[in-house]
Amino acid sequence: MGRFMSAPDKPTLPEEELDHIPGSEPSTRMDAWWWLVALVVGFIALLLIFKPDPFWNILQFVQDGIVITVTVTLISFVLMLGIGMIGGLGRLSTNRVIYTISTLYVELVRGIPLLVQLIAWYFAVPVIIQYMGKATGSPALEGFQADPIVLAVIGLVFCYGAYMSEIYRAGIQSIPKGQMEAARSLGMTYFQAMRHVVLPQAFRVILPPIGNEFIALLKDSSLVSVVAVADLTRRGREYSSMHFNPIEVWLLVALLYLVMTLFSARVVNWIEKKTRFER
Amino acid sequence: MADPIIHIEKVYKYFGRVQALRGVSLDIAHGEVVVIVGPSGSGKSTLLRCINRLETYEKGSITVDGIPLDGNRNINAVRREVGMVFQSFNLFSHLTVMDNLMLAQRVVRNRSKEEARQTAIGLLNKVGIPDKADNKPAQLSGGQQQRVAIARALAMNPEVMLFDEPTSALDPEMIKEVLEVMLALAREGMTMVVVSHEMGFTRAAAKRVIFMDEGQILEEAPPDILFNSPKHERTKQFLSKILSH
Ligand SMILES: Nc1ncnc2c1ncn2[C@@H]1O[C@H](COP(=O)(O)OP(=O)(O)OP(=O)(O)O)[C@@H](O)[C@H]1O
Ligand SMILES: [Mg+2]
Repeated sequence: MGRFMSAPDKPTLPEEELDHIPGSEPSTRMDAWWWLVALVVGFIALLLIFKPDPFWNILQFVQDGIVITVTVTLISFVLMLGIGMIGGLGRLSTNRVIYTISTLYVELVRGIPLLVQLIAWYFAVPVIIQYMGKATGSPALEGFQADPIVLAVIGLVFCYGAYMSEIYRAGIQSIPKGQMEAARSLGMTYFQAMRHVVLPQAFRVILPPIGNEFIALLKDSSLVSVVAVADLTRRGREYSSMHFNPIEVWLLVALLYLVMTLFSARVVNWIEKKTRFER
Repeated sequence: MADPIIHIEKVYKYFGRVQALRGVSLDIAHGEVVVIVGPSGSGKSTLLRCINRLETYEKGSITVDGIPLDGNRNINAVRREVGMVFQSFNLFSHLTVMDNLMLAQRVVRNRSKEEARQTAIGLLNKVGIPDKADNKPAQLSGGQQQRVAIARALAMNPEVMLFDEPTSALDPEMIKEVLEVMLALAREGMTMVVVSHEMGFTRAAAKRVIFMDEGQILEEAPPDILFNSPKHERTKQFLSKILSH
């Protein structure tokens, strides 16, 4: 459970191959690790074909959980790309207030386990809003209820946004200062220079760590099962407690996560190679 | 000087405890080419960077083309009038040569794609590399990159061009091609402020040479006079070092 178990760590940036050496472009054909994805898919298919009871039944039962897991992961990922950019720019701001707020955000959020944060968003935040409703006499707030999925996505984005901010910060800092200076000396504003010159270059640098974050997020999304979201993990637990066959259930659930993460890793790898080729 | 395009008055600049500029005053006329020389750390780059506000300064005033460099609002206005060429080229490495030349025209000058492209093609011809438009900067030689950088600055139709040691990162055989472009520019009447120790270029193009030392302008004179009979001992010492190369 990547982020949940590990202590806050610095994002690692890849060794950059800055010079384009003709003839050394990585090949664009599929890399060999796709076979691993195929192998796991094949294994699942064998289970489903030769032991439809219980495996086919389990799959039927958890399939809406797979949809939830994928949806929560994708939505959270897109949102945290935005939050991370704002946080990263804030960490580089010369404005004291903006810098302090974003630094506090990054440092505090990274120091609290994701599971604790998710539980807090689910149990504590609605209660706080209800209290505020009572205090201000607003019935709308007093009866505040939120969809668990919404709170779970907020929790994931809030936490991962902090890690993402540091990735953006490191990526932007890795672009030579002269790029910003050249853009500014041509009359571009700070934001024009960021948008057209610095961020496009930083994005290539941070692509691998962002890909890793996506995979970590996919795995950590299983934590939302604790806060009433019926994702793959929660549906697996429900099935296993009804039918008392934990071995088969958790074997299949683990294999399903594995297919998704291995597949994502291959896609990330492919995008990385493609952008490096276009450099 | 009547109606200078750059008016610098008693500018002071500190980096923490380091005094980079100590009361620099300088007027530069329309169409004038001024070369700044001086030992490392004497404040040449800092002065140049103050002119387009890449550095802020603590005291004094700078006016460019009648626009005082004070409020934030004026800075982009001034930068549009002032082109800058850096020692390390600083081409946008993710963009092709053509896009390097077009980007600021599009977003700063709001030119149409076609107009920006025509301007870029004209300038690439002018700096002698019309066939490199679709290459990335990394595929060009240093001399070619610096000529693209000059073209990129010219694309904004600046009134003034600043050059900070434009040839000191280049191999000797490439220095000439860059200096030729600069010389042609000087002949066209561009106002230029150049930090460079290239004697040949200075003699051919500069009306005035300025010698800076420890954040101050120690002396200024036409190239022949400053190079042949410097007034100050510091200037003599410095010149004997660079002339011996
Ligand atoms: N960003 C900075 N932070 C701190 N000190 C700086 C900075 N930039 C310049 N300085 C200091 O200011 C002084 C003037 O530097 P400047 O770069 O203007 O010198 P220069 O004449 O261009 O030297 P060179 O020939 O080596 O380029 C030096 O003492 C330098 O160390
Ligand atoms: Mg310098």
